[in-house]
Amino acid sequence: MSFVACSTPLGTGGIAVVRMSGKSSISVLKKITKSKRVPKHSVAKKYTAYDSRGDSFDNIVVTTFFAPKSYTGEDLVEISCHGNPVIVSKILELCCLYGCRIADPGEFTKTAFLNGKMDISEAESVSDIIHAKSIDGVKLGAKNLSGGLSKKVKDVKTSVVSCLAAIEFNLDISEEELQPNLIKNSLDVLGDLVLKTKSAVKTFKSSSIFVSGASVVISGPPNAGKSTLFNTLVGTNRAIVTEIPGTTRDVVEKEILVNTIPINLKDTAGIRLSKDPVESAGIERSKEELNTADLVLCLEEKPKKPKKNYLYIYNKSDLGPPSGDFDISISAKKEKNIQKLINMVSSTLLDTNSTSDIQITTTRQLNLMKDVLLSLQKARVHLSTDFSLELVAEELSRAVSFLDMLTEKTTKDDVLNVVFSSFCVGK
Amino acid sequence: MKRHKEKYDIVVVGGGHAGVEAALISANLGLDTLLISMDEKSIGRTSCNPAIGGLAKGQMVKEVDVLGGVMGFFADKCTLQSKTLNKSKGRSVWSPRSQIDKLKYETVVQEHLASSKLNIFGGEVVSIDTKKNKVCGVLLKDKTKIKCRSVVLTCGTFLNGLIHIGEKKINAGRYGEKRSEGITECLISLGFSAGRLKTGTPPRIKKNTVSWDLGDPGFGDSDPIPLSYRTKDFKPKDEPCFSFRTNKDTHSLILENLSSSAMYSGDVKSAGPRYCPSIEDKVYKFSKNPSHVLQLEPEWTNSDQIYVNGFSTSLSEEVQLKCLRTVSGLEKVEFIRPGYAIEYDFFFPSQLKNTLESKAVDGLFLAGQINGTSGYEEASSQGLLAGINSSMYIKNENPLVLKRNDAYMGVLVDDLILKDTNEPYRMFTSRAEYRLQLRSSNADQRLLKYSEDFKLLDKKTIDILAEKIQKTNDLVSFLKNTSIKPEQINKTLKKIKESPIKESLKVSSLIKRPTFFIKDLKKTNIGLPEGINNNINSKEIIFEAETIIKYSGYINRQKDEIDKIAVYENKIIPEDFNYDSIKSLSNESREKFKRIRPQTIGQAGRIDGIRPSDISILLVYLKRTFHVKQK
Repeated sequence: MSFVACSTPLGTGGIAVVRMSGKSSISVLKKITKSKRVPKHSVAKKYTAYDSRGDSFDNIVVTTFFAPKSYTGEDLVEISCHGNPVIVSKILELCCLYGCRIADPGEFTKTAFLNGKMDISEAESVSDIIHAKSIDGVKLGAKNLSGGLSKKVKDVKTSVVSCLAAIEFNLDISEEELQPNLIKNSLDVLGDLVLKTKSAVKTFKSSSIFVSGASVVISGPPNAGKSTLFNTLVGTNRAIVTEIPGTTRDVVEKEILVNTIPINLKDTAGIRLSKDPVESAGIERSKEELNTADLVLCLEEKPKKPKKNYLYIYNKSDLGPPSGDFDISISAKKEKNIQKLINMVSSTLLDTNSTSDIQITTTRQLNLMKDVLLSLQKARVHLSTDFSLELVAEELSRAVSFLDMLTEKTTKDDVLNVVFSSFCVGK
Repeated sequence: MKRHKEKYDIVVVGGGHAGVEAALISANLGLDTLLISMDEKSIGRTSCNPAIGGLAKGQMVKEVDVLGGVMGFFADKCTLQSKTLNKSKGRSVWSPRSQIDKLKYETVVQEHLASSKLNIFGGEVVSIDTKKNKVCGVLLKDKTKIKCRSVVLTCGTFLNGLIHIGEKKINAGRYGEKRSEGITECLISLGFSAGRLKTGTPPRIKKNTVSWDLGDPGFGDSDPIPLSYRTKDFKPKDEPCFSFRTNKDTHSLILENLSSSAMYSGDVKSAGPRYCPSIEDKVYKFSKNPSHVLQLEPEWTNSDQIYVNGFSTSLSEEVQLKCLRTVSGLEKVEFIRPGYAIEYDFFFPSQLKNTLESKAVDGLFLAGQINGTSGYEEASSQGLLAGINSSMYIKNENPLVLKRNDAYMGVLVDDLILKDTNEPYRMFTSRAEYRLQLRSSNADQRLLKYSEDFKLLDKKTIDILAEKIQKTNDLVSFLKNTSIKPEQINKTLKKIKESPIKESLKVSSLIKRPTFFIKDLKKTNIGLPEGINNNINSKEIIFEAETIIKYSGYINRQKDEIDKIAVYENKIIPEDFNYDSIKSLSNESREKFKRIRPQTIGQAGRIDGIRPSDISILLVYLKRTFHVKQK
C-alpha cells in the first residue's frame, strides 16, 4: 500500500509539500488531477487539484520520481500545494480515499533504507527513527492538550476487549446456547462505545486547532470596524483601514497566538451585493470562509436564532451603549474590553472541544478512529440482527487492532486472560 | 508380542493419541517404524473424558482426518452420542463432538495397529542415543539398544508423573500405571530445558449408585455428522448424558476442606489449566456462582463406570465423596476411583522447529503433552505432524509445515514454538485469527493439497474429496453468475420474512443475507447445476457453497491481510544469526530472539512482547546481510 504524508511543518505557510510513495501513488495522483498522462520523471508540472465531487480546489505543482530513482526507491510523487492546512488535509484525505494510507513517522526514510537507497552505515540512525514509530501513539497522547489521549484510548480498548472476551467465552467455552443477557449487555456496551468513538472522530476538526490553528473570521456589515478589530487583535497595521465601504476587497489573514491557541485570524470583505467584479470575487471567498470557520466574530446584533460558532460583538462602545442584544461590548478603536474578548475567543474555541474525552490531532489518528468506529458499528449490526457472534468477534478484533496502533499491542492471550478472570470456565 | 529387530527407521515412544498417529502415518508412508509402549494393552487409551472433538477440537479432528490421521475415523466407530456444538452461532464455530465408548476405542485402535505394517514392542525407553547431535538409537530399561535414525517422543503425563489425591502422593503415569523415568534426565543432558505442569481428572463413580431420574438428560443431534470424511452410513447410538448441580452445601464443604486439596495446600506447585479448573478453584474463585453443573457421562456402552465432568479435583478421596453426596441425586454415590491431579515433566516447546523436530538434536521429534499441551486432539495433531516430518527427515524430503491460515494444527504448532507456556495449552477458536476460514466443514478444501503432495491418503479417498471440492466450487461460481428476477423470488422472500428485491441480481447476493439459504431457491425455476443433487456428498456441497458465499466479504479481506504478511513468512532468518551484533534491539527482544531463535521474520513478530520497532530493525539488518552476501 502506498503511503502519504505532509513533509512540511503543519500550519499556514507559502506552500506545503505532500509526499506519496508506493506503487499506486501515480494512479492516485491521476485521480486527484483528473489527468490521464503519465508524468515525466523528475519534471515539475502544474496541475489543478480536484476533490471527490470533481470541484477544483487548488493549483498544485507536482514532481514525479519513478522507482528506483527516487528518495524511497519506490514511485514517489511530491505535490506542492498552497500552504493552507485545509488544502493539505484535503489532499491527504483524497490520497487516502484513493487507496493510500498515512505514513508512519520516519517511514520514507525507512523505506529508502530498506530499498538500499542509503548507505549501510546509516543503519543506526534509521533505527532511531523506527524506534520513534512504536511510541508514536503514546508520544502524541502526551503532547495532547486535553491530557492523555493514550489513556482514554486505553479505556475504550479495555471496554472493547472485555466485550470481545464475553463473546469469545460464549464461542469458545460455554457450550451453551445464546443467552439473551449476553446480547443485551454487549449491545449496551457497544452502543456506548460507538457514541464515544463518534464524538472522538468529531473532535478531529476542533482539536486539530492545536496543530494547524483555528480559523477565526471577522464578519459584519461594511464600515462596522472589522479591519480595526483585526488590526487591534493582530497589533499591526497589515490591513488597510479607510472610511470608504468595501475597501477590504479580499480576505486578509494573519496567524496570531491567543492564550496558547494558534489562530488564523481573517478579515473578510463586507458581504453585500456589488457590481465591482473584484469586490464580488472577494465576497464569494468571504462566504466560503464563514462556512468553514471555527469561530466567527460577528459585528452585528444577535439574531433570533444565533449561530452556534458565532460571537456577536458590539464594536462601538466608545460612541455609546449598544441598542440591541450582543455577547460582548467593545471598542476596537479605543482598545476597550479587548482582553475580555480574547478570553472569550479562547474559551469558546476550547469549549467546543470538550464534547469528547478523546482528542484526535492527526490525520493518522483520525483514520484509525474512523476504522474503529466502522468496526464497532458493524459489530453492533451483526449482534442485533443475525446473531453471528463469530462476525461480531471478527469486527471487535479489528477494532482492537486499530486501537493497538494508537496505543500498544493486544495479544490473543490478553483476551483469553480476561475470559479466565471474568467468567467461571468449565462445565 | 512381536520381538523387535536391531534397527528401525523410526522409533515412536509412547502409545497415546500422539504416538498412535505418529507411528501409523510413518508406517503408512513406508518407513520401518517401531512403537514402544510401557504397556501394550493401554495403547490408544483415552485417559480423561469419554469424548472426542468439541469446540475448536472438532475442527482439529477433521484436519487430522484429511491429513491421513485416524482419530476421527476410529471415534466414529465407537460413538455413543454425536452433537455439533455452537449450532446457534455462525458456521465457522460449529464444532462436532462425539461421546465415545472408551473401551471400544482402545480395541479398535489396537486391532487396527495389529493389522498394519507397524511393529509394536512393550518396553520402557530410558534414554536417546545420539551421535554428533543426531539421533542414532534408543536405550531400553533392560539395557538393550535399538538403532534408529529418528525418534518421536510422545510420553504424555508419564515422565516423572506424580499423582496427588489430597495429601496422598503416588508415583504414576496414569492411575494404576507405572511412570517413566530417565528420559527427562537424558534430554536435559542433551541441553533441553524442562518444566513441570499439572492436569487433573474427575472421579469415576458407580452407575447404580446414582438416582438418574433426578438428572437432566442431554441427547445428541438427530442428524449427526461423522468426524471422518471416510466414515459412511454414520448412524450412532444416542445415549444421553445427565446434568446434576452442586449447591450451597457442596460449596461450603469444599471451602471448609480446601486445605486437604493438594493444589491449595501448596503440594502442587506447577500451573494447572485455567480452562479446566478444579471444582475447588471454581467454588473459590467464583464464589458468587450458587451452583455449578456436573455432567455425568457413560464411559462405554452399558458402562458401570461414569465420568463426572466438571468435578476435576485434588481434594482427599474422603472429602470428594462427601462433597459429591451433597448433590441431589448423588446422595448414595460410590467411587470406582477418586479424582486426582497429576504433575509431569514437559519440555518448553520453543526448543522445537515448526516441524516439531528439536533444534538441538537432529531427528528427535516431540509431540503431545510432552510439549505442554492438553487434550486428545491437540496430541493427535502433533503426533501426526511429527510422524510425517520424521518420515520426511529420513527420506530427506521437504517437511509439512501448516500455516496459521491453513489449519488449527498450524496455529497450534506456531503458538507452541513461539509462546511461553505456563499452563497446559489447549486450542480455542479465538486463538486462530483466521477462524472464519478454519471451519470443520472445509478441512478438506484447506488441506487436501497437502494430502496429495505427501501421499497421506489413499487415492480413492483423495479422488472423492477432490470431486466434492470441485463440485462445491462449481456451485459457488454458478450462484455468483446466475441472475434472479424479482418475480422469481419475491413470493418466497415474503414467505420467509425477507425484504423483497427490486431488480434482478445475482443469486449469490441473496445468499449473503443471513437467513436466506440455497433451499429457498426450490420454488423458483433456478435449478442447481447437474451432478450436485445426486452426488453422495450433495448435502455437504450445498452447505459449504452457501458458507463460502456468506463469509466471502470477510474471507476476502482476510486473504488480503494474509497476502500482506506472506512476505514476512518467507523472510528466513539464518540459524546462526548474531543478535548481539544489533545494538539498537531492545534487551528484552534480543534475549527472546536468542532463546527462541525464530526461523522467519513472521515468527519473530509473533513472539510475545516483541515490539514492532524491533522487527523493523531486524528487517533492516537482514537486508544488510543479504546485500553483503549478494556482493
